[in-house]
Amino acid sequence: MTKEELAAYVTENFDGKLKPLDSGRYDPLFQVEADDLLDVARALKEDENLKFDYLCNICGVDTKERFEVVYNVASVSKNLRLDFKLTLPYDNAEVESVQEIWPAANWYEREMWELYGINVLNHDNLKRFLLPDDWDQGHPLRKDWDAPDFVRLPEGD
Amino acid sequence: MTGKPVLLAELHGLFQWLHEKLQATGLSQTWVDIITYATLGVIIFGVLSLIALYLIWWERKISAHVQQRFGPMRHGWHGWYQTVMDALKLLQKEDIRIVTRDKVVFFWAPVICFVAAFLAYVVMPFGDRLIVADLNIGILYIMAVTTFTIISLLMAGWGSNNKYALLGGMRSAAQVVSYEVPMVASILTIIIFVGSLSMMDIVKAQSGLIFNWYIFRIPFGPIAFLTYIVAATAECNRTPFDIPEAEQELVSGYNVEYSGMKFAMFFLAEFVNMFTVSAIAVTLFFGGWNGWDFIPSWIWFLMKTLGIVLLMMLFRWTYPRLRVDQLMEFAWKFLVPVTFANLIVAGIFKYFGWYW
Amino acid sequence: MAELRTQEFIVNMGPHHPATHGVCRLMLTMNGEKIVKIEPVIGYLHRAIEKICENRTYAQCIPILDRFEYVTSMSCNYVFSLAAERLAEIEVPQRAEYLRVIMLELNRIASHLLFYGVTAMDIGAYTPFLYGLRERESIIDLFEMTCGQRLTYNYIRVGGVSNDIPKEFVPKCREAIKIIGEKLSDYTGLLNENPIWIERTKGIAVLPADLAIAYGVSGPVLRASGVQYDIRRNDPYCIYDRLDFEIPVRHNGDCFDRYMLRIDEIRQSIRIISQALDGLPEGEIRNKKVKDATFKPPAGEAYARIENSRGEMGIYLISDGSKKPLRVKTRGGSYNQLQVLPHYGTNMLIADLVANFATLDVIMPEVDR
Repeated sequence: MTKEELAAYVTENFDGKLKPLDSGRYDPLFQVEADDLLDVARALKEDENLKFDYLCNICGVDTKERFEVVYNVASVSKNLRLDFKLTLPYDNAEVESVQEIWPAANWYEREMWELYGINVLNHDNLKRFLLPDDWDQGHPLRKDWDAPDFVRLPEGD
Repeated sequence: MTGKPVLLAELHGLFQWLHEKLQATGLSQTWVDIITYATLGVIIFGVLSLIALYLIWWERKISAHVQQRFGPMRHGWHGWYQTVMDALKLLQKEDIRIVTRDKVVFFWAPVICFVAAFLAYVVMPFGDRLIVADLNIGILYIMAVTTFTIISLLMAGWGSNNKYALLGGMRSAAQVVSYEVPMVASILTIIIFVGSLSMMDIVKAQSGLIFNWYIFRIPFGPIAFLTYIVAATAECNRTPFDIPEAEQELVSGYNVEYSGMKFAMFFLAEFVNMFTVSAIAVTLFFGGWNGWDFIPSWIWFLMKTLGIVLLMMLFRWTYPRLRVDQLMEFAWKFLVPVTFANLIVAGIFKYFGWYW
Repeated sequence: MAELRTQEFIVNMGPHHPATHGVCRLMLTMNGEKIVKIEPVIGYLHRAIEKICENRTYAQCIPILDRFEYVTSMSCNYVFSLAAERLAEIEVPQRAEYLRVIMLELNRIASHLLFYGVTAMDIGAYTPFLYGLRERESIIDLFEMTCGQRLTYNYIRVGGVSNDIPKEFVPKCREAIKIIGEKLSDYTGLLNENPIWIERTKGIAVLPADLAIAYGVSGPVLRASGVQYDIRRNDPYCIYDRLDFEIPVRHNGDCFDRYMLRIDEIRQSIRIISQALDGLPEGEIRNKKVKDATFKPPAGEAYARIENSRGEMGIYLISDGSKKPLRVKTRGGSYNQLQVLPHYGTNMLIADLVANFATLDVIMPEVDR
């Protein structure tokens, strides 16, 4: 199916849990509520026409007002690609782990927890990953975090 | 065999001269013997050290030319004294000794390796009448003495107090012990025809035509040579059997914790071992020092031995490495049956007198 | 004296080791000679590329992303440019697209030649390393002729490429790929029929296809397990839909197949480069509307993925309409390959782990960023 057909199919089936967004510039982008994440993920993987069995990427985003978690998935057999994201507030940001559905999520979620501080529930190995084992200086990829010796130069035009 | 050329020819005269001079001084026979043999020992040690240094340079040049590059070029013409410089550098290095090592074992491992490598040359026939002591159990003595290196490898692995070294040492010991069997059986195949264990007799049995060399005595000669050379490469821990010193896996295996001169002793011992097994191959299969008259016999011996050494070096730079269990499987399931079958065939040939 | 436990013990193939490509630490739990558990410990090469890129303009991000995966640096530049071009909906001139394809495929060949050399060296054959690197030198010379750099190119920019190729590039390029094509049969002849090589790589460390897909493995490792998935065909970018080439697939998933597949890919890349050189049009090399100093794509997000030598390389780019990107998430193929290693790489000897790790072709900067 083409991208428009895919977007239409996904919007109609799935009980409206996937709402299309228009900020995606290439693949169809959808918004999901944090509570519906596991149902949506399982449904995407098991749907006969879609079979999204390949997880490309999970990334955390810090827009300056809130957290977002973006999932990029693909289907190897049907040659389809889709992105969806969910938004989380700054305080007590938590998300369920999708590692039972897509085992590739394990390391991506671990990295997201470490660099953003988004807590991942039901993850089996939430330990220090890219940063040193004794790191205690916060979560670096947040927008309000700067390295101690970082000097922000005044903006140009 | 008509008149021999004059210059530099036969060095046996040197040994004769030394012996006579000493007897002329009137010392008792035991002292004369002791001094003669000691001097010969020192001379052989010196010659072999030079050969080991030369072989290291040669290996670097051969490996370079196989890989289409030059190798050492700066120290002397084409880098001929590079090894001397390396040896001087190693002499100056700090001898790092780990606190948790096993002191006695750690110290004596390189010593035993080094000494065992040189002991085999007591009976090596370098040329016509150029042999330190023609024991009548010559080849048996060599087999016994070259086995000492296994102990030193195990000692090095244990004394370093390092898992990698221990793994390397144990693998190496297993490998060397396994490959002793086909090596000895290949040698026995030839000894059946010579009728004597003495090295001089082995060489004399191949004098005359080139077809008297044991490698040409089909069918057992070439097969014995092939199995011998494979087993000998494994004995020296060279690729494709260099699991004990596999850089990529164990980071240099049993000698990982040695530095400076102790490391140099392991290193030199490896090259001397390579020369030993090549010299044995030449003595048994290629006629020893026999050759045409116009070149002295010791030069023949040297050239033939260096040819076999070249073969072993080319093996190293062409083939990948065998895994340790594949290596053991190859020894016990393939080489041992083949060598024993060869031995039986040789025995049948000798019994019925079918060879020439 | 050291205490020798005869039960399971932990061996650390530490960050400094000749056989871990880059600084990767593998904690191996071993029972005798067999490996029971592998735990990769990463982060030794973490340079915070994503955080740095959030404080740089789009043109300044390109040299930083060069170092994201420095063996195939053209791909890193290209994937970022692709994401930015998708966000801003920019047309790239045809000459620039052809040049990009030539550079990407040359970089793929160089990376696979390096793989060939390093894998052979890890398994014990020392000579192919020099042969592989010698051919790679001719490709690196081509790059130096074009953009002045040997390893981190900063060549493919948003909207096009930065420099035009000099006149002697095309004949030299044809010459280089002709020689590589001829020598490839020599190089494989040195190893493929060798019984030692076959024993060390055939049937060793089989990666089943469903495990590979579940863990997000891509690239030659996935195709060696029998899955026909190549982004150049499945989600075409650049001008790949106009070029004629095959996607090699092998079905056993062992070390030998992963090695041979990359050799097959070199041959296909040679085909692509010849076609691109034949069809290279005249024209501009950069879209005039893109000015590096004031490039501001409209707000939006896009995920750009390309087929790199190591798998799917992706960049998820979010822009908020300003000069600097809001989020640059880099995704490399080696990350997933390393993630799947503990799940199929156990129950074998250390020698097999070395062969396995070598054929996965993991490059640590892609993992650690």
